[in-house]
Amino acid sequence: MSTINNKIESPRSKDGIAVDVRSVSKKYRIYHEKLPSLKNTIIKGRRASYEEFLALDDVSLAIKHGHTVGIIGPNGSGKSTLLKLISKVIEPTRGEIVVNGPMSALLELGAGFHPDLTGKENIYINAAILGMRKRDVDSRLDEIIAFSELEKFIDTPVKNYSSGMYMRLGFSVAIHVNPDILLVDEVLAVGDQAFQAKCYKVIYDFMKRGKTIIIVSHDLDTISDLCSSVAFLKDGRLQDMGKPLDIVSKYRAFVEEIEHKRIIEQQRAARQQIFKSVIEKNRRIVSGDEISRLSNLSVDGQTLNRFGSGEAEITGIRILDRDGKEIDYCSFGDEITVSYDVIFKADVEDPIFGLRITDYRQNIIYGTNSRLQKVRPGDFGKGENISVSFDFRVTLMGGEYSLSPAVGYNDTRTYCDWVNDMFSLNVMHNNAAEGVCDLDPGIRISKTD
Amino acid sequence: MFADIKKLFSYRELLMSLTRKELKVKYRGSVLGFFWSLLNPILTMLVYSFVFSMVLRAGIEQFAIFLICALLPFNFLSNSVNYGSGSIVSNGNLVNKIYFPREILPLSVVFSNLVNFLFELAALFIVLSFMGYRFYLFLYILPVLIFIQFFLVVGMTLLVSALNVFFRDLQHLITIVMMVWFFGTPIIYPLSMVPERYQVYIKFINPMTIYAAYYRNIFYYVKYPENAGFPTLTETLTALGISIIIFFIGYFVFKKMEPRFAEEI
Repeated sequence: MSTINNKIESPRSKDGIAVDVRSVSKKYRIYHEKLPSLKNTIIKGRRASYEEFLALDDVSLAIKHGHTVGIIGPNGSGKSTLLKLISKVIEPTRGEIVVNGPMSALLELGAGFHPDLTGKENIYINAAILGMRKRDVDSRLDEIIAFSELEKFIDTPVKNYSSGMYMRLGFSVAIHVNPDILLVDEVLAVGDQAFQAKCYKVIYDFMKRGKTIIIVSHDLDTISDLCSSVAFLKDGRLQDMGKPLDIVSKYRAFVEEIEHKRIIEQQRAARQQIFKSVIEKNRRIVSGDEISRLSNLSVDGQTLNRFGSGEAEITGIRILDRDGKEIDYCSFGDEITVSYDVIFKADVEDPIFGLRITDYRQNIIYGTNSRLQKVRPGDFGKGENISVSFDFRVTLMGGEYSLSPAVGYNDTRTYCDWVNDMFSLNVMHNNAAEGVCDLDPGIRISKTD
Repeated sequence: MFADIKKLFSYRELLMSLTRKELKVKYRGSVLGFFWSLLNPILTMLVYSFVFSMVLRAGIEQFAIFLICALLPFNFLSNSVNYGSGSIVSNGNLVNKIYFPREILPLSVVFSNLVNFLFELAALFIVLSFMGYRFYLFLYILPVLIFIQFFLVVGMTLLVSALNVFFRDLQHLITIVMMVWFFGTPIIYPLSMVPERYQVYIKFINPMTIYAAYYRNIFYYVKYPENAGFPTLTETLTALGISIIIFFIGYFVFKKMEPRFAEEI
């Protein structure tokens, strides 16, 4: 059985666990200066200032002998940190890692290669660094050279190698170390197609011989192909671990959501930029003398879609979720509120408050106002501030929509203020249908005879 | 510490392999490469010989031999420290990616310099034999001497290689310190030239003074026995004590900092 002091045991622990990661956390120090120096230390009387960064947060996972486990996650999620911890390159801040059996880490190909030495000389150095005995290298030298396909160049200094040749030699040495536990970090993309096929064959051979393999990769197809289980890391935490297809599809959904949010954020920022400049210019004009009838006014070649007498002015608009929190986007089925602020510059009798939703082609998706909804707001005096809210359930398909608020006079023809495309409404949806509106049908199919 | 030595022993092949690599890279082009590496001490020797025999006229017989037999052991120290200081930082890609006992990196530098030193001594033997020096009289002291000096060199190299990771500008300081150390050791001058009241300091603070005296007695003073004089037992034990203290300081500082090497590089 395992003991705490002796972390590497052989050949196998009785419970069948090859790598046991027990609630491991890792904190890094991010220094504010480029390189630590004695000069700064002496001048400032202390070491360089730094921030702590939690790369791994209480991660636990047990990997059984003979299993191939993939680790996936976005950049900076702690995958490589985890591999480095397992390979003992760095030590955990908290927790411990028990490794049962000889282990080899394929974190860097051609580690320790010296450019001036020949391929053969570098094989010996690289193999020694990876923990291989010289007599084992002697006996497998031909195999290593043959696998790398570098027979002709093996007595040439490696500085004359192409990067592909360099990697091939490194990979060839690494896989001939023959460990029980193999750690692989994004190194399978080596060489040309034929060589890659060979590499995969080697990995499969490893699996067949009952070796334990831990792979970090962004190549989800490879992961779901090779692995018996997959761990999904995010922000240093283990999100989920389980069957490759489940976890990979969860991860894919996560990545898509991130991507979607990013695009929406970009669009929103761009739109706000335009909106800001338009409103800015608009306000200048509106606050001037030519307040009335600003219909189809054009500034910088853009039609300013704002018009009205200016006796009431729409000053802000936002989208709120059910809890009254401001949101940037919503999903199909959400209960949301569109709310805009109005300030009255003059007394207005019984105005009408409206809202129109258009799509990106300016098709009107929906439009209504307080009169149509049979709401009588009453009269407002000069200087009064109010907010107008429209509650909806989102039944739209995914995409970006524009909101245009308006305040009209009770003659239903003239307006105090109308702002086209004042705000955008972003809807997330899996779009399992076409059109602009999700009618969410139930489908029944029955034989008619 | 025993566990460390055991671990180091299990990685002895890596240590040998890296030492060989250091030597191979240095002597690329085989025999001629080795002679190139002799060029540095020979040129140093020629320059100092010219200055001290022709210009300053220090009146030391066979100044070249006088100098070289103390210069070679000092070069073993200073080359190890100078090259060893960057050994962790410059192998950052290894330290960052692969686990092995980190002390192997500075140790391989020390070992390759040791091998180099031994080759240089062998060359010195040949020259001395031709010149009729009876250096073999005291040759039995030499292995012990080299062994003791080795601890000093390892201690210093471990210390600077570890500190260099955390203070990258240490390199400049090391160059200056090694220069002061060089002139503070009776290499280009005999100890007797130092005023009596200062002799105490350079004898008791600087173990290299004592080692240089031993090397010089073995190789040089066999021909000029009237000037010979081995350091006293107290002096020898002090030098030995300081060397061992430096070794342990270097070792413990290295071990203390080792876990953070990969993160700091």
